[in-house]
Amino acid sequence: MKTELAPRTKVLVYGLMCVLLIPFVFPTWWMVTSSVKPISQIFAFPPDIIPRSFDFTTYGRVFELQPFAQQYWNSAYIAALVTIGTMLFSSMAGYAFARIRFPGANLLFMVVLLGLLIPSEVTIVPLFQMFLSWGMINTHWPLVLVPIFGAPSVFATFVMRQFFIALPVELEEAARVDGLGRFKIFWTIALPLARPALAAVAIFTFLHSWNLYLEPIVFLSSPDRFTLPQALTQFTDAYGGALWNVQLAAASMTALPVLIVFIIAQKQFVEGLAHTGLKG
Amino acid sequence: MASVTLTDVRKSYGATAVIHGVDVDIADGEFVVLVGPSGCGKSTLLRMVAGLETITDGEIAIGDRVVNDLEPKDRDIAMVFQNYALYPHMTVATNMGFSLEHRGTSKAQIAERVKWAADILGLEALLDRYPRQLSGGQRQRVAMGRAIVRNPQVFLFDEPLSNLDAKLRVVMRGEIKGLHQRLRTTTIYVTHDQVEAMTMADKIVVLNAGRVEQVGAPLDLYDRPANQFVAGFIGSPAMNFIGGRITPGGFVAAGVTLPLPAGLPAGERSAVYGARPEAFALAPDGLPATVTLVEPMGPETQVTLMLGEHQIIAVFRERVKARPGDTLHIRPDLEAIHLFDAETGARLN
Repeated sequence: MKTELAPRTKVLVYGLMCVLLIPFVFPTWWMVTSSVKPISQIFAFPPDIIPRSFDFTTYGRVFELQPFAQQYWNSAYIAALVTIGTMLFSSMAGYAFARIRFPGANLLFMVVLLGLLIPSEVTIVPLFQMFLSWGMINTHWPLVLVPIFGAPSVFATFVMRQFFIALPVELEEAARVDGLGRFKIFWTIALPLARPALAAVAIFTFLHSWNLYLEPIVFLSSPDRFTLPQALTQFTDAYGGALWNVQLAAASMTALPVLIVFIIAQKQFVEGLAHTGLKG
Repeated sequence: MASVTLTDVRKSYGATAVIHGVDVDIADGEFVVLVGPSGCGKSTLLRMVAGLETITDGEIAIGDRVVNDLEPKDRDIAMVFQNYALYPHMTVATNMGFSLEHRGTSKAQIAERVKWAADILGLEALLDRYPRQLSGGQRQRVAMGRAIVRNPQVFLFDEPLSNLDAKLRVVMRGEIKGLHQRLRTTTIYVTHDQVEAMTMADKIVVLNAGRVEQVGAPLDLYDRPANQFVAGFIGSPAMNFIGGRITPGGFVAAGVTLPLPAGLPAGERSAVYGARPEAFALAPDGLPATVTLVEPMGPETQVTLMLGEHQIIAVFRERVKARPGDTLHIRPDLEAIHLFDAETGARLN
């Protein structure tokens, strides 16, 4: 039964929540406000929580110093491809591990899960050599292929498998009696019902690809092929010093789509992870 | 419509055999109920007919076709599942027309068949709703609708009423029976509820531990059970069993001697005396029995008694005004007495 909190307790709880919020909100607030401050004000002490003046020309300079629109597009389409690819492969792999009985299925799933335990730093050199031999260095292929078949996809496969295991098997048996084959059952029954899990997979895959840093700096060398996290390090003056306000303007613009996606889909994200028995 | 023939059907999971050679003939248009306790293999047998389980040995034929190796979709059957298995992301109409859609039926024909089924089951107003918006009974009807739109040769029901409350179960029982009388489609119905079996079936197959104990019409099974298992399983309250010996002077049990029907083989032997609760009548010259519980049901009175050292249940048509501790005099109807072998449980009379 839900009990109403006493007003004093309520104030205390909300006050405590506000205090706890500060470490999470302050960096974003600092990033956005500093992007419109002159550099001298950014590190002033005590800091200005609200800027004394607003200088939006930093946002224009982002596009002058780097091919930022191109880099934005690079990040966007790579993240989109990775998200679609991961959703497709992880849902099929998750379904297979959940529903198709084949010898060694559990062992194979364990082997797949082991992929999560290997840090990307360990595999980056052999991956570089592999893509070099395939002539794919300074292209976007590694940034698409590595996440689709790498650790993020393994986690996505795990999430999808847990979801499909929980799906009543009678639904599929009814579909078999109704005349559907394995793939059609997956495509028309299991997959549409897996929407919450797919949404969760989509969000964390998109975020992972959008924020990818190590792989772009290893595989890409031309600024017009850079992705956003890599591009952010390039806003420097002639002496290599950081142009903090321009860089933070670029960072603000980089964070914007992530914020929008999460606000729109946060309910499905939480539901999706709840369905799999995992907590977000 | 078609007959269904099961010939020496067996099923094993690895070394564990769960169905030990089942032979059943189901006539065209017949309503057959597979009944038995949990784990007896009745659902497995139904799923083997549906093609959802493989057959380890034996033969299943629907009509003239042996269907052992056919996929469920090629067997021309429709199945109603215990939890209905309606597709949650589809409306009632789409659920009902889904199988036809995948068999290449035209949209006009699908609409016509769905309307026909909805008319029969009273689902016209619910066609645009989703399963989550329906009550248990409505979902059950949609599941039946999905089965009948295809006009299959055989309907398979896997404990379809077990998720409903007692009152709705009685209503739906009538609806399923009514549907069968209207369509006359061969039906195999699985339940663990012997009341469902008795009230719905043309023929009951009693299963126990993967074997057929008896096949027959409901009242045949009730009146002449082939063995002690069937006798105990069919009928509610269950048949009273009293262990003892058949002697020339009657059936001698602990603390009581019961009268025996005529025509029994001569000689003494150990046996089990079976009497249904309604086989006892109140009679001043009957056997004395001590009342332990009286349960007035309205049309009848159920009384628990100690007969000698045996507890029995008797059901009387009249209202019995006895109280616990009172003595009643009861007489068994010798026409309705069943005697079973003490070791094998086989019927003796």
